[in-house]
Amino acid sequence: MAQISATEQKGMQQIDLTSLNIQQLSTLKQQLDQELNVFQESLTSLKMAQGKYQNSGETLEKITPESEGADILVPLTGSMYVPGKLHDTNNVIIDIGTRYYVEKDIEAAKDYFQRKTKFVTEQMEKVQYIGIEKSKIRDAIVEIAELKMAQQQQQQS
Amino acid sequence: MSDDFQRKLQNELDSFKKVQKELQKAIQTRQQLDGQLNENEIVIQELNLLPSDGKVFKSVGPVLIKTELVEAKVNVKKRMDYITKELKRVDDLIASLEKKQDAHRESLQKLQHQFQQAQVKAALHA
Repeated sequence: MAQISATEQKGMQQIDLTSLNIQQLSTLKQQLDQELNVFQESLTSLKMAQGKYQNSGETLEKITPESEGADILVPLTGSMYVPGKLHDTNNVIIDIGTRYYVEKDIEAAKDYFQRKTKFVTEQMEKVQYIGIEKSKIRDAIVEIAELKMAQQQQQQS
Repeated sequence: MSDDFQRKLQNELDSFKKVQKELQKAIQTRQQLDGQLNENEIVIQELNLLPSDGKVFKSVGPVLIKTELVEAKVNVKKRMDYITKELKRVDDLIASLEKKQDAHRESLQKLQHQFQQAQVKAALHA
């Protein structure tokens, strides 16, 4: 996941919205609408990721040394299970992405999921913040476009 | 309006649309590569956190195969290098396509302008 920043970057320039014509304003608004859509989608997938990490973290709480040897059902496919026994309650294997998995002990695994949840939550906050900023700009554009349209009508009549 | 002019306009419009499509595809590829690079970066961070005797597995189809940590790191780095190179290639492609698109847009605007002027003239003569 990319780091997202709301700070001004090189190459950005300030434009006075009132200096644009209606056509330009509507193009800009369309662009912003598209961007806002993307942000909404990112938020949804981030929320899903957050849920998965939290869920995995909570599941770890249930793996204690006392549960060693406990009967479990191992899913072979989505609809088929075989009975098994919990053999190792000290380590779990975690998917860290790009098809790599690592073995971690319970404490390290908890730490991993906490870190991930924190990371995703931070990204969500950033996206939310930028989203709010962008929709403010969008509102401003709509307002100015309406103003310009009213002016035009007045001139015509 | 002469057929010749119509054809020219149509040609220009077609090539503009073609470039637009190519550009969209390139941008999509770029986003995909960017995502992959990020994922690999997170993986390498995670691998770096492991102790040197940490157990690493690689999933090949439905099975997990044990891998040496060092080997895994080398592999991920190699992939990141490859993706970075690809990113650069796609970036260059996008830049050149954008230039092409702008050129087409400009000549389209010119043609449109000519067309309008011709229409005005025709209306005056009628």
